[in-house]
Amino acid sequence: MGRDAEEASPPVSSSELEQEEDDDDCYLSDQEDDALEESVLQVLEDEHLEDCHWSCSSVITKESLLLAQREDLRKVIELLGLREHHARTLLIHYRWDVERIFELLDQKGRDRLFSEAGIPLQYANNAGPSSSTEVTCNVCFEDVPPSAASEMDCGHNYCNDCWTEYFIVKINEGQSRRVRCMTPKCNAICDEAVIRKLVIARRPDLAERFERFLLESYIEDNDTVKWCPSIPHCGNAIRVKGDIYCEVECTCGCQFCFNCSLQAHSPCSCMMWELWIKKCRDESETVNWITVNTKPCPKCHKPVEKNGGCNLVACICGQAFCWLCGGATGRDHTWSSISGHSCGRFTDDQTKKTEQARRDLYRYMHYHNRYKAHTDSLKQEAKLKRDIQGKISISENKESKIKDYSWVINGLNRLFRSRRVLSYSYPFAFYMFGDEIFKDEMTPEERELKQNLFEDQQQQLEFNVERLSGFLEKDFQNFTDDEVMDTMKHVINLSNVVDRLCKQMYQCIENDLLYPLRTPHNIAPYKSKGLDRASELHISWDSAEQSSKSTKRSQDEHRSQHGVHNNEYASTILGKRALELHGSSSDNRPRQSHKRERQDANGGGALFDLNVPAEVADKI
Amino acid sequence: MVDISRVQKELTECNRDREVSGVSIALHDGANISHLTGTIAGPTDSPYEGGTFTIDIRLPGGYPFEPPKMQFVTKVWHPNISSQNGAICLDILKDQWSPALTLKTALLSLQALLSSPAPDDPQDAVVAQQYLRDYPTFAATARYWTEAFAKSSSTGMEEKVQKLVEMGFPEDLVRSTLKSVDGDENTALEKLCSG
Ligand SMILES: [Zn+2]
Ligand SMILES: [Zn+2]
Ligand SMILES: [Zn+2]
Ligand SMILES: [Zn+2]
Ligand SMILES: [Zn+2]
Ligand SMILES: [Zn+2]
Ligand SMILES: [Zn+2]
Repeated sequence: MGRDAEEASPPVSSSELEQEEDDDDCYLSDQEDDALEESVLQVLEDEHLEDCHWSCSSVITKESLLLAQREDLRKVIELLGLREHHARTLLIHYRWDVERIFELLDQKGRDRLFSEAGIPLQYANNAGPSSSTEVTCNVCFEDVPPSAASEMDCGHNYCNDCWTEYFIVKINEGQSRRVRCMTPKCNAICDEAVIRKLVIARRPDLAERFERFLLESYIEDNDTVKWCPSIPHCGNAIRVKGDIYCEVECTCGCQFCFNCSLQAHSPCSCMMWELWIKKCRDESETVNWITVNTKPCPKCHKPVEKNGGCNLVACICGQAFCWLCGGATGRDHTWSSISGHSCGRFTDDQTKKTEQARRDLYRYMHYHNRYKAHTDSLKQEAKLKRDIQGKISISENKESKIKDYSWVINGLNRLFRSRRVLSYSYPFAFYMFGDEIFKDEMTPEERELKQNLFEDQQQQLEFNVERLSGFLEKDFQNFTDDEVMDTMKHVINLSNVVDRLCKQMYQCIENDLLYPLRTPHNIAPYKSKGLDRASELHISWDSAEQSSKSTKRSQDEHRSQHGVHNNEYASTILGKRALELHGSSSDNRPRQSHKRERQDANGGGALFDLNVPAEVADKI
Repeated sequence: MVDISRVQKELTECNRDREVSGVSIALHDGANISHLTGTIAGPTDSPYEGGTFTIDIRLPGGYPFEPPKMQFVTKVWHPNISSQNGAICLDILKDQWSPALTLKTALLSLQALLSSPAPDDPQDAVVAQQYLRDYPTFAATARYWTEAFAKSSSTGMEEKVQKLVEMGFPEDLVRSTLKSVDGDENTALEKLCSG
């Protein structure tokens, strides 16, 4: 294009040349025009759309784990007038769902709520040693003085040696969160303070593990909290309020699907994604291709591919053989028979099978190639970002009216987000319109219709994503101000278009494709601003103080009710930990830092190393 | 370590009223306190009535804080007991075990299990199916197994069956005839020949 003009005019810089070539592109497409007009309206609509899938996530670090837990414990202790270990029992039973507990309190009433969770309705009258007579322990059958025995809230009494032995077995079995009374059929959960006191005397290591199990119950027995799946583990857990079908980013940078803990994969459903990565991993398709398209030579056993129409194939070793049965033959043959050879397998069967396998393979390759093209581009993210940062700093330092280059970064982020959507839309389509999971969900006609509908949107998105990518890769640092302005206009418009197309594709997926299915398939919703960055859990020090006060109060009550019951240990441990938490928050470490420093996790004097979940730690 | 003093007390306690309870425990071999043999009298009004069932008992190191391991030595036809190897499906021998339970209470629970099977949580699926779908056949088979394996007089029953089957009589008929004549081989043969 424009060759003649070029030759006639004085030499131009290569960038100008490029610009000139692109001039044909430099009109606002209808789509872009629409985008400009609708962009305002669209924003309003989007907010509504994203509201339907409301969820918000926060990071629970080893420092905030205790606080997050205290917060819930406090609510239950205060509103139901429970002792701490009973409140914990109740919360574990109802999977730390405080709202549900209060709901059930209304529905079932206090008595049923408590008895179902194993909390005694009345505390046994155990105010001190009733007499100095010996107690017979029903486990070891020995008589012991009352001081050497312990009674639980249910009134059951055994000697301390037997309790200790029993607790050790239960902690070793990983049942710390629900240690029941030793009496058969007694549902009562044992008092944490008694467990601590007895176990620490004989096995301090197990006492520590017991504490950790209790703490981690908040993560393990809680549908709204999951460990961050980063490897090596960053020590954090993520808590999500609202829709659990969402994708989150931990402060360590790890992005994952909250529902299945695998890497973020929307608009694939968790099931599709699991199937897809398995399929890609074992490359069974490739193996299939080889088995379908080649046969071993009967002489040298190398795989030989069929090359022509007839059924006589020849290996490079010189051996000829029959493609249908694999048997060695002479070379003398016609189209339909090999002389001196009859295998009787001139059926269509084999050919049909081959055809099917070939079709399956091509189908997989079609989706996989496109999926891979986009994920490969995503791998270049960091490099592209660096390059563009370089171009920006050059531009910012040159003589120009334009000082704000945030549109480049915004466009780049939009590009990455939409490329991610696009890449996962291929495995989605592979399963949505394939036979593997939805064979019986649609008639072939319905499927074709829906596939066309979807692919139209996908292609439009793909086209515009590539255009956006093209504009972002321009060497704008060498452009004139007018050219920069023009590029900017394109980038901003295409960003809007791409964002809108992503939304439309999600609407199509959720409403037209997934919604009519008999088996529900949920996907994490499209987030215009990218996936949810979990914020640091914020529990104000006020409420923390309040909670430690309320703990103290409940412990005082506990003590006065129990009489001789010694809760000293529990309160010192809690007090000590509260102090440590205070300490770590008052030093001036930046709380907002994006990457947690490793030493943070092993930080000074912490009681537990939360880098590894207790179960895993135990196995090490 | 097994709590030796507790196990010794348990043995004494259990065997004191063995006549009344119908359960007893003995050391399997004199030397080893963690290997025991229990016996249960088949409960009345059940297909196991009249039988005496032997149970192999092994105590894990953590006993009584871990449940004892029990297995029927005597072959028994029951939904919750394997007809192959005598393995038992009973909650108190698994997660419902409590250190305040004893070997005696466990054996009594097994006795109760013989009286009232729990076919919904079966150990032996074939037996459980039969129990649910065809109770009369189940009861007959259970009774027959009791006769054949849980009674001292029934030793050699299988040989008698074998012998008569080899003579050419159908096995079902042989078994029912043998049973009707209290296992007397000659009378059974007469009956079978006459008709
Ligand atoms: Zn004791
Ligand atoms: Zn109790
Ligand atoms: Zn993380
Ligand atoms: Zn998922
Ligand atoms: Zn060859
Ligand atoms: Zn040919
Ligand atoms: Zn052939």
